[in-house]
This record gives sequence, C-alpha cells and structure tokens, in this order.
Amino acid sequence: MTSRLFAALGALVALVWTVGASAGPVLDRIKERGVVRVATDPAYPPQSVQKPDGSFEGFDIDVALEIGRRLGVAVEFVTPAWEIITAGNWGDRWDLSVGSMTPTKERARVLDFPAIYYYTPASFVTHEACDFAEVADLNDKVIGTCGGCTYEFYLRKNLTIDAEGVPPFEYLVTPAEIRTYETDTNVFDDLRLGCGVRLDAGMSALPTIMEAIKAGYPLKVVGEPAFFEPLAVAIDKGDAEFAAELARIVAEMHEDGTLTRLSMKWYGVDLTKAR
Amino acid sequence: MGFSAAPAGRRTPAGAAPPSKARELRWALLAWAALSAVLAFLFSGEDELTRNLLALFGLGEDWLGGFLARLLLAAPVALVVVLNFTVLRRLPKRVQIGVVWAELLALFLAFFYSFDLSFPFIWDRLPILVFTGAFTTVYISLISIAVASVIALAGALARLSDHPLAYGVATFYISFFRGTPLLLQVYLIYLGLPQLGVVLDPVPSGIIALSLCYGAYMAEIFRAGIQSIPRGQWEAGYALGLTRALIMRRIILPQALRLIVPPTGNQFIAMLKDSSLVSILGVWELMFLARTQGRMEFRHFEMLITAALIYWFLSFVFELVQARIEAHFGRSERR
Repeated sequence: MTSRLFAALGALVALVWTVGASAGPVLDRIKERGVVRVATDPAYPPQSVQKPDGSFEGFDIDVALEIGRRLGVAVEFVTPAWEIITAGNWGDRWDLSVGSMTPTKERARVLDFPAIYYYTPASFVTHEACDFAEVADLNDKVIGTCGGCTYEFYLRKNLTIDAEGVPPFEYLVTPAEIRTYETDTNVFDDLRLGCGVRLDAGMSALPTIMEAIKAGYPLKVVGEPAFFEPLAVAIDKGDAEFAAELARIVAEMHEDGTLTRLSMKWYGVDLTKAR
Repeated sequence: MGFSAAPAGRRTPAGAAPPSKARELRWALLAWAALSAVLAFLFSGEDELTRNLLALFGLGEDWLGGFLARLLLAAPVALVVVLNFTVLRRLPKRVQIGVVWAELLALFLAFFYSFDLSFPFIWDRLPILVFTGAFTTVYISLISIAVASVIALAGALARLSDHPLAYGVATFYISFFRGTPLLLQVYLIYLGLPQLGVVLDPVPSGIIALSLCYGAYMAEIFRAGIQSIPRGQWEAGYALGLTRALIMRRIILPQALRLIVPPTGNQFIAMLKDSSLVSILGVWELMFLARTQGRMEFRHFEMLITAALIYWFLSFVFELVQARIEAHFGRSERR
C-alpha cells in the first residue's frame, strides 16, 4: 500500500513538473491561447480600479485593452499584489504588466521593460491646514509614501531609473523621517487627519493626488513636481520576440495619438511626452 | 467602589435575600455620583450637545468648558447608565443577556453611523462582497480545514509512533509550520515553488499554505485528544486480540473526537479570518474585495466595516454549526 502511495505521489509531482516546465516563449503562448493575461493592481485611481461588478477601468486598463487589440487577442486581467508582480518569475501565471511601473535598476534585474508609454509627475502633498509653500519647506518633516516604490527611493536619495530618455532630476528634500505604507493611497488617509497629526506631507503620483482631492480629501499639492517618472509595460525576462512586438505596438500608439487621447480622457492632460 | 455597585449587586448568589429598597437606592445614588464625576472629567464641555444644554438652562457661551458645563452633560449620561443597570437586574437572566447584546450592538452601530458612511456605495458593492468575496472565503476555508484535518491526523499518528523516521518528519513539520508566520508561508509557496519549476495558481497556493499551517496546529490538538484516552482502552483492545490499527480506528479515535472537535471548530473560525492573507496573491476573497472596492472612490471605511460585519456573521453561523457538531460527538456524555 505504501509503495502504491509513493508511486501516486511521484506521478503527481512529475505531472506538476511538466506542466510548469512546458511553458514556451510567451508570445507563442499568447497567440496559441488567443488571450493575453495582464496583471493589474486595482489600487490606483485613475490608473486602475475595480468596479462593483468586478470589472476594471482606468488608463492602464484602456492601454492594456488596446495592446490586446493590436496583438489580435483577448485581454484577461489578474490581480496579484504589487510586490508579487515586481518580484518577477511570473512563470505561466500572467504574461504582461501594464501597471504604470517605473523601470528601476533593481526591477530590471528580474523584469524586462520593452516600452515606456507615459510619464507621470511625482509630487508632494500635504494637508490643507499646513502652510508649506514649496518643496524645500518639507526639509526635516515627517513624510509618508509607499514602501518599495520609486517615491521611497527618491526620498532616500537612491532612485535610479533604468531607461532611455529619462528627464534629469534633483533631490530637493531631506525628511526627518520617512514612513512607508503598503500603497501611497494609504498615505492620504493618515494625512487627512490633520496637519502633522501623523504626517506632515506625503509623496505620490500627481494624478492620484488630484483624484483624492476630487473625492473630498482635505489635501493640497506642494510646489512643482519633484520628478517625472517614465512608466513602462513590463514582461518576464527572456522573450525578446514578445519585447520587440510590444515596443512596436507602443511606438505605434504614441505615433497615431492613441496614447495622447487616452491620457486626455483619464488625466485631462497629455502625459505621454517626456518633460 | 460605588461605580461597581450595580454589577456587583447582580452577582448576588441565588437564594440570598434580595437587598432592601433603601440600600439599593443608596448604592444607585452613589454610583450615579461617582460615574458623573468620572464622565465630567472625560468630557470636554465644549461640544455641540453641551452648547445646546447650556442654552436650554439659559446660560451663555462663557460657561462652555467649565465644570458646570461638563457636569451638565455627564449627569444625565451617568443617570441613563445607572438606571439601565438597576432596571436590567430585575429581569430574568436570559432576558438580561439579550438586552446587553442588543445595547452593545446598538452602541457599536451608532459608532459606525457617526462615521458618515455612504450607504448607496455599500449597497452597490454588497453583491460582489457577498457572492464573490464571502463565497470564496468560505470555500477556501472549507477545503483547507478538510485537508488540514487529514494532515493533522497523519501528523498526530506519526508524532505518536515509535518509528524514528515518522517521528522526525512529523516533529520537523510541526515545528516549522507553527514557528513561521502564515503570511510568510503563503509567499514561500507562491513565489518559492516556481523556482523548483512547480507553478501553482493563487487559489491552490493559498489552500496549501492554510492547510499546512493549520495542519501543524491541529496535529497537536489531535495528539492531545488521542493521548487523553486512558491506557486501559488499549489494553482491553489487545486483550480482545485486535490489531493496533483497528484499536485506533474503532476504539480510540471515536472517543478522542469528542475532545478534538471543539478546538477544531475554533481553528476553523480562526482560519476563516486568516484566509484573508491569501488576498496578497490576488484571490478575490472578502478582504481583497473590501480593499480594492474601497479604493475606487477613496471610501475605505464603508468597505472595511461591511467586510467586518460579513466576517462576524460568518463566524456566528459557524459557531452555531460547531455547537451542533459538538452535541453530536458528545452524545455519549448525555444522560
């Protein structure tokens, strides 16, 4: 009986093993299935949010749907946590991330970034009652932001963006303390409690800040954007053919004005060109 | 001391003479005075309610924040609390419990209501929270507890065996999975196994993590249950010429189950909530949906409170189920 059990176990392991190993190049897989699976983190209005019926909407979602259309396949969204997307080694779980991801040096070790599709201004935000007029006023203050994201790297003066055509930037602030959160939208909830109650200021994407203000948060933007970060589509390492195809499609979407149109629709401004 | 008078009175042993009316009144007044003083100390005396009360007595704004203003609000509130206790203790015991529950629940809901929640927002999202979220939470927990029970039985038997290999494997497994956080195990299984070429989907990964973690805890519960059966039961079995396996299956386990079931129900209720850790893998269970849905219009509280109530309701239902199962396995004890 024991030997039969071991045989069954062995067969099971072998089965799982072959399923895992047989995954071929990503592009072939997508064409064969007729579906591209896109990872999205629905935590960032207006990039990606989940509607009450479970479907998604936002700028990233529209870009992903357009990429799918030009690949000639259907689009399916999956929702792993951000840390899991950026950890790489996706295997056969999903094929593509259209998630406003900054191509940093660290991420480039585990992921490929075939194309930049827009640039988002990174800004400082504070409570309405605070009287910080410009970014330099935030020196020696308590600033909150998302853990492991580009804003934290920027605050720690450790941000290296590994892509072509990145606009240069300077480190303008030395905070007294940097508090990190699961995502930068959590920063707004601490900030809304009042000026200096838990935080003096926060750092986030300007569009996300504007969205929170629109939702009634008592916040205001401090000064000019600290830097413009390029945001790219990301794929797992190792499929040059897929990378080339994505680069071609995104370049095409830049040229024919599709990206500008979508940017106007979701952000009200054209964020598709470097500044 | 006066503060505790009312609840202390409730603890009068049955059969003792009820306290006299005068004595009761004295205690109630003392409790009222003491509670008023404590509340007057806690209240600011500058809120809207105090302002209205002062106006009612024809007193001006300059009284705001003063001791009288604080007392003006504290005294009626304390009176309500003390009256509540005095009335409550006259009721039958079962009614008392029901009223206490109703009162605490009302306070709880009033607390949430004061957050100025958007009910249409909750209403729109209730279907996905219940039919996708709660459904996923329940089925992941049910499968996991079933698998965990099998693992736990195997683990307990191996832990109790004389075989060094079985004992070694079981103790190592129990030690590791009880000694590391569940969240870490979820990450290890989801991100670690693909390094070995085994790529699992989020739901199976979550079920494996929950089963292994809870299997380890429950192996100890099963072991304790089996060990609690007196040796005489084994000896009687051997005397009848039964094999070890048969004694375990027919004599020991049925008796041990009575002791194993209550803590296992407890584990299940704990798992119902720990299954929220699977949300990091993007499984659309209750916690995941509560977070992502709330982010759409930056209305986190609406979704978190709704999810809390759904989790609570689920636990409540399973508490009732557990009571039924316990009654079933405890039937030998009933007279």
